[in-house]
Amino acid sequence: MNPFVFHVPTKIAFGEGLASGTADIVKELAGNRALILTDKPLMKTGIVEQILMGFGDMKYVVFDDVPPDSDVDCVNKVADLARAEECDCIVAIGGGSVMDTAKVVNICLTLGGEILEYQGLNNIAEQLLPLVAVPTTAGTGSEVSMVAMVKDRAEGKKLLFGSRYLAPSVAVLDPLLTVSLPPKLTAATGLDALTHAVESYTAVISNSVFTDSLCIDSTKMIFENLRAATNDGGNIEARSQMLVASTMAGVAFTNSGVGVVHALAHSVGAKFGTHHGIANCIFLPHGMQFNMDAVTERYAKLSRLVGMSTSSKDSVAAAELIEAIEKLCTDCGLPRRLRDAGVPELKSDDIEELTFLTGSDPAIMFNPKECSPEDIKGLYERAY
Amino acid sequence: MQFFANTDELHQVMKELWARIGRDPDMSEKLLQSKLIVQFQYREPEGRVTVDCSDGKEMKVMVGKQPIKPIVEMAMKADVAHDFWLGKVNVPFAIVSGKIMARGPVAKALQLLPVIKPAFDIYPNVISQHKKVMA
Repeated sequence: MNPFVFHVPTKIAFGEGLASGTADIVKELAGNRALILTDKPLMKTGIVEQILMGFGDMKYVVFDDVPPDSDVDCVNKVADLARAEECDCIVAIGGGSVMDTAKVVNICLTLGGEILEYQGLNNIAEQLLPLVAVPTTAGTGSEVSMVAMVKDRAEGKKLLFGSRYLAPSVAVLDPLLTVSLPPKLTAATGLDALTHAVESYTAVISNSVFTDSLCIDSTKMIFENLRAATNDGGNIEARSQMLVASTMAGVAFTNSGVGVVHALAHSVGAKFGTHHGIANCIFLPHGMQFNMDAVTERYAKLSRLVGMSTSSKDSVAAAELIEAIEKLCTDCGLPRRLRDAGVPELKSDDIEELTFLTGSDPAIMFNPKECSPEDIKGLYERAY
Repeated sequence: MQFFANTDELHQVMKELWARIGRDPDMSEKLLQSKLIVQFQYREPEGRVTVDCSDGKEMKVMVGKQPIKPIVEMAMKADVAHDFWLGKVNVPFAIVSGKIMARGPVAKALQLLPVIKPAFDIYPNVISQHKKVMA
């Protein structure tokens, strides 16, 4: 067996209505004054209000203006607010952007100094303030991951932060919070989770039985529940399965990395603002096809284990997994090409820029097969 | 037992390695294009090597403490560095397992990994020549 390291620094709690007891979790973590981070659309749904009712007399301050693709300005603004209010713990209620913002704010609050000083991997070496993550989408896995990304709009780039101390203290998984998510977002975030599972399973360091089991089970759960969750948002069992599957895939990818599909999706998202889940769903079959010769056996094994193939021939079983993913995307009404997802015609300059962005994305380092600039260009052309 | 006996030995080997990388037109051209200043901070033994490509014309290699502010800092045990240059380190695994720490815009530095791969063939020669001199 190959050597491996497996971390799950986050306590994971699941239950219908569990989020209303978030205040108790904060108290358990010895928090006295919580910074509540969320976004405007969630405030409108009443979800945050319900959670805050549980805080009773406990002191807290709410920041509800985290943008969809959060940035350094937002982090600094929130950190200033939290310092002024002397907050000693953070509660993030929302999707990936809210949770990632909370993680980076936590660095600023705990360690002080400039946020840029902490950019990088493994350079935070001490425990941060307690952070409770309450995801309202089932896809990003940020509630358990040890990484965070925020934009530096002035420099036009994304900043990456990675440390085991960034992982939230507790993830509160409450499927009732995901019920109001529209079908398209349900499907797109679900495909993000599926991409985490598939890419982690075949990542270059995916050598742990722990990550393998999480990838296999989460893939199966997503295949079995994403259609139902998309078509009937009120199906609590499907919502529950998706939320747990997403967290499982999050634990897997934060331990083993992702791959070229994420690198492509990050790049097209940075240039054209394409939703991360939608970009992943478009690139996933192409990325798998590209990686096929390197990991046919792994795809075939995954395909059989999740019930997508009964073929004993690896190439057939692997191909059937890709077909099943394409069918899942189509059934959930997701676009299959970049042009259908609002990406304008890719000119040669665009492809050059996207190729550079993709080649320098840290996710590509974990891909099971090396990608040359020509390979990346080919993937963009095929996905367009 | 650690591979490098002391800081001097570590600095001499790394300085010679980077000098040879600088003489390789393919590698040096791509490194200079990056305009990065990368500092490698070693422990066991302590050591510091700074590679400055910031002017895009000449690669400057400095050892020990320097007044220059690096864009990217990479910290690791000197033995990890030795294994890396022998091509024996799985970098993604070393990062995930915390053996390598990177500060700054790491994506830029990671993009240079394929560029410096040819140095894996140079390094054993640098080591063997160094050992001969030491003997």
